[in-house]
Amino acid sequence: MERFWQVLAQKGPYILATLLGGLETTLVVAAGALVFALGFGLVIAFMRLSRLRLLRWPAIAYIEFIRGTPALVQLFVIYFGLPDVGLRPSPLQAAIVGLGINGAAYLAEIYRAGIAAIHRGQMEAALTLGMTPLGAMRYIILPQAIRTMLPPITNVAVTLLKDTALVSVVAAPEIMFFARNLVTETLQSMHVYLMAAAIYLCMTIPLSRFVAALERARRAWH
Amino acid sequence: MLKLPAIYAENYRDWLPEMLDACLGTLKLAAVSFLIALVLGLVFAICRTSSVRLLRAMSAAYVEIARGLPALVILYIVYYVPPQLMPGVALVALSGFSAAVIGLAIQGGAILAEVFRSGIEALHTGQTEAALSLGMTPAKTMAYIILPQAMRIVLPPVGNYAIGLLKDTAVCSLIAAPELMLRAKDLASSSFEPMAVFVLAAMLYFAMSYPLSLAVRLMEARFGRRG
Repeated sequence: MERFWQVLAQKGPYILATLLGGLETTLVVAAGALVFALGFGLVIAFMRLSRLRLLRWPAIAYIEFIRGTPALVQLFVIYFGLPDVGLRPSPLQAAIVGLGINGAAYLAEIYRAGIAAIHRGQMEAALTLGMTPLGAMRYIILPQAIRTMLPPITNVAVTLLKDTALVSVVAAPEIMFFARNLVTETLQSMHVYLMAAAIYLCMTIPLSRFVAALERARRAWH
Repeated sequence: MLKLPAIYAENYRDWLPEMLDACLGTLKLAAVSFLIALVLGLVFAICRTSSVRLLRAMSAAYVEIARGLPALVILYIVYYVPPQLMPGVALVALSGFSAAVIGLAIQGGAILAEVFRSGIEALHTGQTEAALSLGMTPAKTMAYIILPQAMRIVLPPVGNYAIGLLKDTAVCSLIAAPELMLRAKDLASSSFEPMAVFVLAAMLYFAMSYPLSLAVRLMEARFGRRG
């Protein structure tokens, strides 16, 4: 136990500073993937809700297949598989696209449930008043749906943030990437991984508190 | 352009038995972790709803921490830290498989504790009181009144957790637990066909998780939506 504090005092600041060097990439990947997923997920959701089978079926296949396979496999296909067909994504590109594709499938289902939860009469009323379907979606349906969707969307953001730990395997220089290098360098696996854990908790616990608060606010509103 | 069907036609005799064998490893890993997570989840859910403040605080802390960490971080801590704490003690150096089971169970216990807690709290206390005042014994109340209702609330999210767990076993390849992803990585580097191998791995994961997700949807349809 004494040694624990000794090592912490000697190497702690160095370990912490190095790990925090990966924080930027972690945040860039999480934010990039979230933006990608928010946009792409909306496209998939509209395709899923479409009456045209040609649009609906690919969307269903996408949602089911992506949600049914591990994010790690998707990352491997993108980073190690795509070069087989002549594409060479950089680690950062592979990380953002890989996690974004994954998040989009979950967000598409959240959007769909949120839109479905708004009563059909709303859409009919808006159309009767002469709004275009797109205008009705934009001004009537989505503003109401967003209230029910916000907590699960934030949950996806938390999951994305945690999943960024996986992108160290495609050599994106984020927290866990530096952690692994630090362990080979200092041989202090305990200090390194516990500090990495602490950094993740500093981000995820406030975020999940925020989700819980949103959830309470939503219930109070109903 | 890459011709996946041609590659599969050429290699399936070598690849398929190996990959299917690795699927068994994945299923074993998921099943063992699931059972331990169930027990942990139940224990911590009961602690969380207990009237003893210390138990409540401890299980709240466990749930927050274990749910807030990436699976990879938990797995690395379980796998790499004990040997460093007690160097030379062979017992604490866990195999990839046992470390994976412990890591996944720690995370799953926290997820399930929350699921069970919401199940217990969703039932109005009036239900127990009514059953008792009708002359039912506490055991009968539990068996005929509380559990059947709690099951309906809890089963779909437990099923969802099982799907997530099955997918999370892929992360255990990073601590060399014998499962599908580890085998896929070996096969990808020995065959020089990473795209074909990883797409095959994805299809196998899908084949394992999709029946589960259909089962969850069936349960949700039968028991009605939560909330």
